[in-house]
Amino acid sequence: MASQTPAVVMDNGTGYSKLGFAGNDSPSFVFPTAIATKAGAGSAAGSAPGRPPVANKPSFLAGGGGGGGASSHLSTKRGTEDLDYFIGDEALAAANGPGYAINYPIRHGQIENWDHMERFWSNSIFKYLRVEPEDHYFLLTEPPLNPPENRENTAEIMFESFNCAGLYIAVQAVLALAASWTSSKVTDRSLTGTVIDSGDGVTHVIPVAEGYVIGSSIKSIPIAGRDITYFVQSLLRDRGEPDSSLKTAEKVKEEYCYVCPDIVKEFARYDREPDRFLKHTVTAPNGRSVSIDVGYERFLAPEIFFNPEIYSSDFLTPLPNVVDGVIQSSPIDVRRGLYKNIVLSGGSTLYKDFGRRLQRDIRHLVDARIRASEARSGGARSGGLDVAVVTHKRQRHGPWFGGSLLGQTPEFRSYCHTKAEYDEIGPSIVRRFALLGGPGSA
Amino acid sequence: MLLLDYHNVLIHSLLTERFSGSTPVSIDQIVSDFDGVTFHLSTPESKTKILISIQVKCFRELVQYGAQQVLEREYGPYIVDPEPGYDFSVLIDLENLPAEQEAKDDLITRLALMKRNAMAAPFERAFDEFAKLSEEASRYTTESAPQGVKEGGEVMAIHYREEEAIYIKASHDRVTVIFSTVFREETDRIFGKVFLQEFVDARRRVLTLQNAPQVLFRNDPPLELAGVPGLQNVNDGTLSYVTFVLFPRHLTPHRRYENISHIQIFRDYFHYHIKASKAYIHTRMRKRTADFLQVLNRARPENEERERKTASGRTFRVQG
Amino acid sequence: MGDDCSTSLRPYLQCVRSSLSAALAISNFASQTSERHNVPEIEAASSPELLLNPLVISRNSDERTFIEPSVNSVRVSLKVKQADEIEHILVHKFARFLTQRADAFLILRRKPVEGYDISFLITNFHTEAMLKHKIVDFVIEFMEEVDKEISEMKLFLNARARFVAESFLTPFD
Repeated sequence: MASQTPAVVMDNGTGYSKLGFAGNDSPSFVFPTAIATKAGAGSAAGSAPGRPPVANKPSFLAGGGGGGGASSHLSTKRGTEDLDYFIGDEALAAANGPGYAINYPIRHGQIENWDHMERFWSNSIFKYLRVEPEDHYFLLTEPPLNPPENRENTAEIMFESFNCAGLYIAVQAVLALAASWTSSKVTDRSLTGTVIDSGDGVTHVIPVAEGYVIGSSIKSIPIAGRDITYFVQSLLRDRGEPDSSLKTAEKVKEEYCYVCPDIVKEFARYDREPDRFLKHTVTAPNGRSVSIDVGYERFLAPEIFFNPEIYSSDFLTPLPNVVDGVIQSSPIDVRRGLYKNIVLSGGSTLYKDFGRRLQRDIRHLVDARIRASEARSGGARSGGLDVAVVTHKRQRHGPWFGGSLLGQTPEFRSYCHTKAEYDEIGPSIVRRFALLGGPGSA
Repeated sequence: MLLLDYHNVLIHSLLTERFSGSTPVSIDQIVSDFDGVTFHLSTPESKTKILISIQVKCFRELVQYGAQQVLEREYGPYIVDPEPGYDFSVLIDLENLPAEQEAKDDLITRLALMKRNAMAAPFERAFDEFAKLSEEASRYTTESAPQGVKEGGEVMAIHYREEEAIYIKASHDRVTVIFSTVFREETDRIFGKVFLQEFVDARRRVLTLQNAPQVLFRNDPPLELAGVPGLQNVNDGTLSYVTFVLFPRHLTPHRRYENISHIQIFRDYFHYHIKASKAYIHTRMRKRTADFLQVLNRARPENEERERKTASGRTFRVQG
Repeated sequence: MGDDCSTSLRPYLQCVRSSLSAALAISNFASQTSERHNVPEIEAASSPELLLNPLVISRNSDERTFIEPSVNSVRVSLKVKQADEIEHILVHKFARFLTQRADAFLILRRKPVEGYDISFLITNFHTEAMLKHKIVDFVIEFMEEVDKEISEMKLFLNARARFVAESFLTPFD
């Protein structure tokens, strides 16, 4: 049946969905996890957003009866609203026009609206990936601490609606660890490490031991990509640049920002070397272009991870301290492994020297603690603690790439639950998966 | 989404981006398509030379029915030796593209339709054969027609999926296309039956579809397939045969291109809609389940002491 | 639904309502076999004197309700009308979907009694926490709505199939 077809890897995140085939080095499609559905068709959509138009009198009873040949395209009369929707970038475009309303089925990493998600998947599979799900194995991702009921619902959709051949659901943080195996710095393929996953909305620090997330120690930080963009924007505004739109701020952030070792020295360096100030040209859609200055925000913007007080007044713990705290709150026997393998994942970790700075700062914290305890113990010497932050090329779509990596291994299929097993046991089967890429596998 | 696209969206969008003059980057992507078709997009030599290879399960059969000629007609100057493991390859040099935008777009569209074009060969052959036979037949009356003309051409079998095949047969007054289709799931089988019955009835019921192809379906091999080797006759209802009878009006040269694309996508369209219906039924059931829960929750007595808060956060007791 | 059907529905539901209300006269009853346990006797069936006479209420040959009362629990099983294989598969799917979410339903049994599509298990703890007549209301409304839902889904399927078939055949011309 599904003899040599590549596995389908889908990483549906709060902001973006990454879709593609296992074995590739990048996802085939990356688009917003958004779905535009017909708004105000009938009366259902208006009062309860997200509710399907089924509550009322079934609309297909209105016009579907028998003879209406000429009206065969009046889809609204035929109960086909559920086919009339767009996903991804098309959804955003459709929502700008009349008649459609945009919905985001995933909130805080977890699927909230299953009706929309089911249709989102349907379109992902049939329109974009163009695969017959019966022929393919699927690897989906879930956030840490996803309730098992959500897994069951996912399995119910994947197996009952789509008849997919096999399914594996992996935790994003674990896949991000697997993605770091491509780095030359990583020698042993261990699934123990601390994942720093920073996307657009929120940054998570997730400790993983032997492929299992230590749920009680996870910390989230309310500073991520969007905040950096806002910060850049505010700096541009303060200076009174001719163009300080969010889009420009985002461009500046993506193209010019980097992490410096020390802001005070960096300020001095900028004053010494004026060629560090750059110009950025913005071309408006009408063809007019303006030039704006790009200055201190180049290193100041990502600095909010390390000195949050320059941006936020209510969250003040620097990222290195959070990471250190997370590891310190994990079981003592895995801490060494967690310090040794700190893996970055997500678009907001891509700044140049981000990893290096993080490693240095965490090492300072660790060394200070070791010195303090050496002093207290009166003469005992510590063997030292190895802190390493792993930066690698596949960081941006880390979880997806990890999935692609594991999905192409020959043993992947034996880790999946198949359609036959699902039919035999039922949705509860997906509560447990053997650990993919864990000890014992090749 | 009602109808499925004929072309591969990824190839289309990727080439559109590359052709628009963005900085070349190296590509190495395996892309799947329906019916077990696999593409490989890569830049083996340099970043400006994109190699597109396709692997089709039934390529041998397709070649037998003239796929090579069809592909040569479509992709003539771009064809290179097939990449190992694949059946057919073209190499696109980004530095050597047609100058006009229109020609570029045309090339992109053609490349995105590679699967369609590979699968089109037996259809094209059948359509040609029909033209020949009908011309011959016009010289005879029904009775006096010689064997060959009366019976029509050979049945061409394309085993495009592991358990499913398309059979095509040309006659002097029609081209018959038969899909054998398998349902491994009970729900799908029953839904499929409902859908197929409507395909059969549509022509009779709807005035505007009088001229559409005739559709028949049955669970045992149709007469047209008598003598075709390798037909299973398992009568447990999982296997059915869907016959499309294309009439001369569907076979005219200017309808031909569209209709070949359209009939090819039948199986995927059919299965997509079965799945979409199941998704919709899920939606309904979710809604209904929520309604039931609401009714059940009415059975719980009201919470006796409800604490209420004022806007300023102070609480007070509701006087019973 | 024909006329005879709709006229027989009301007495059928009325009969289920009164039988079920009567059966729900249940009280707390500790297990006789294991100390400090309290099990639904209708499930445990440990001793015949705790079970009351079960009762089948049939509307017609393929729609019936089975009520099994006991001293501290009542089991209600429904056989939903299934005229053809489409309805059969839809009932099966829907029942599966509901039992999958049995946790939320409290009184829904995870597995139907042999020969029935959906079963409820109502214990004295349920009747203590919830209003008894409202539980009966729920079962009755459930029976009404399930029939309605199944026939609506079937209508949807036919309408959708028709629409899909026509949409596919139209471009040929």
